[in-house]
Amino acid sequence: MNFFQADETMRRPLPTTPMEKPGGDDSGGPSAPKVKRPDTRQLLDRMKRVDPEQAKRYRQRSGQ
Amino acid sequence: MNSLFGIETEYGVTVEGADATGLVAASREVVQSYSGRSAGPWNYRAEDPRNDVRGFHVDKLSQDPTDAQFDKPGDKVASPTEDRCDRVLLNGARLYNDHGHPEYSTPECSSLRALVAHDKAGERIILECANAYAAKTGKATQIFKNNTDFHGASYGTHESYLMQRGVAWDDVIYNLAPFLATRIIYAGAGKVGIEERGAPSCSYQLSQRADFFSVLQSVDTLHNRPLVNTRDEAHGDARRFRRLHVIAGDANLSEYATALRVGATNLVVALIESGWETPVTLRDAVRSIKQISRDQTYRWLVEGSDGNHISAVDVQRAYWRAACKLELPGSEWLLDEWQATLDALAEDPWQLGDRLDWVAKKLLLDEFAEAEGLDWEQDALTLQSLDLAYHNVDPAEGLYYGLVESGAMLTLVTEEEIEAARCAPPSDTRAALRGLLVRRFADTIKSASWGGLVVEEAGERINLVLPEAAADYPALCQQIETAASAHDVAAILRKA
Repeated sequence: MNFFQADETMRRPLPTTPMEKPGGDDSGGPSAPKVKRPDTRQLLDRMKRVDPEQAKRYRQRSGQ
Repeated sequence: MNSLFGIETEYGVTVEGADATGLVAASREVVQSYSGRSAGPWNYRAEDPRNDVRGFHVDKLSQDPTDAQFDKPGDKVASPTEDRCDRVLLNGARLYNDHGHPEYSTPECSSLRALVAHDKAGERIILECANAYAAKTGKATQIFKNNTDFHGASYGTHESYLMQRGVAWDDVIYNLAPFLATRIIYAGAGKVGIEERGAPSCSYQLSQRADFFSVLQSVDTLHNRPLVNTRDEAHGDARRFRRLHVIAGDANLSEYATALRVGATNLVVALIESGWETPVTLRDAVRSIKQISRDQTYRWLVEGSDGNHISAVDVQRAYWRAACKLELPGSEWLLDEWQATLDALAEDPWQLGDRLDWVAKKLLLDEFAEAEGLDWEQDALTLQSLDLAYHNVDPAEGLYYGLVESGAMLTLVTEEEIEAARCAPPSDTRAALRGLLVRRFADTIKSASWGGLVVEEAGERINLVLPEAAADYPALCQQIETAASAHDVAAILRKA
């Protein structure tokens, strides 16, 4: 059995930069974690182009 | 142990002008737009989804009454063969229409690397079909690799694992249930909102599928869905093997999450085959998967059978510790990554934003909500639309692919491997033979199944049965390449 060749390209260490954990009391909703990430500004522009009502129209047949 | 696994994914699809009623026909036409070399139809006589592994056969499978409203009385019903329009592809995969969903089943794989490449190849093949259909009809068509329409309809991403028939089914259920209920902490794809009537509101949860489970085990998959499916279709030698059919999974875009989900489950299959007994059991695994998915504290505490509470991370650690003791060669990468992921989930899940879908999506949505001043309750529809966009498999549109482009996601396989998987099967499973036979005999293949193909030659139908595990597939492929006829191929396969 060979699950995966343990090639170096498949290993990326977890980020070591300190991160601020989200607030975690039992009653609160999800908070905004402050995590340092690659520059995603272009991606935010892509997000702005998403039709904000597409989920309302999105209907599918029930599958398995 | 026999390491063999695959993933079947039902894709969400939108076609301009098609409502839910028209989706079955539209999905069929999308699948029919596949232009690569392929063969069919599928031989359904070899399958029986109503056969229950617990030793009985049901008269019919449950249907979703909500979905039935989309079937208009008097609609022309295509025959199952016309409706499903199955194709077997050059890479050994199966492509078909499953009740309004283009579905791609990867070929049988024996390594996670091959599986991830073939899963990604499947996304591209389905997208290629959609683009061809759009070009032909002028209708905008989109493909989503997710499991929900946010209105209560779910569709599956199933896994299959080859397993020894000799293991008692009760032992499979006993040992598997706690694992499946808790693996969503790394395998969940993330979802905005909740789709279970009467459940408390939840703005974001770990799993796309958790809302849709009702019972621990059942042969049904369309309604009253179980955590463990009891369908008994071995797709191989049923005297020796069973196919463990896991329907509790989410559709992962993340390659890392796919590898961890399938790899860890395959190790648990090995544990169960070894006679190992889980030290951790849950009072109610179905309730637990929902609690874990919706837990906004990210502590994921569930109730054990003894009444004590235990975290999902610790349940997974019990399986991980046992899997380490198996000392299976080649499992080092998987065990290391499984452990590192569990440690990170316990310490700070947000470290995993470059590799787990539910974390990556949550971080992205939070970033956008903060930049645009969105509120998770009031702007839930906008956030659901962005959730959906995360799963769009078009690299130019999908948000997951935007993350990959920006370098924010860890990927495991290369572009070359994915492109190769579009037309080449894994070389070390029977899929190698299936793909080769499609290449050689596509025009004369009369039917196909996982176990073999029927070819017509000189007015005679020749049954080509694919040999199972332990065959020397590369050597067989070499012989088949030079065989003069389908008759000769049949003789080679009989000797294998």
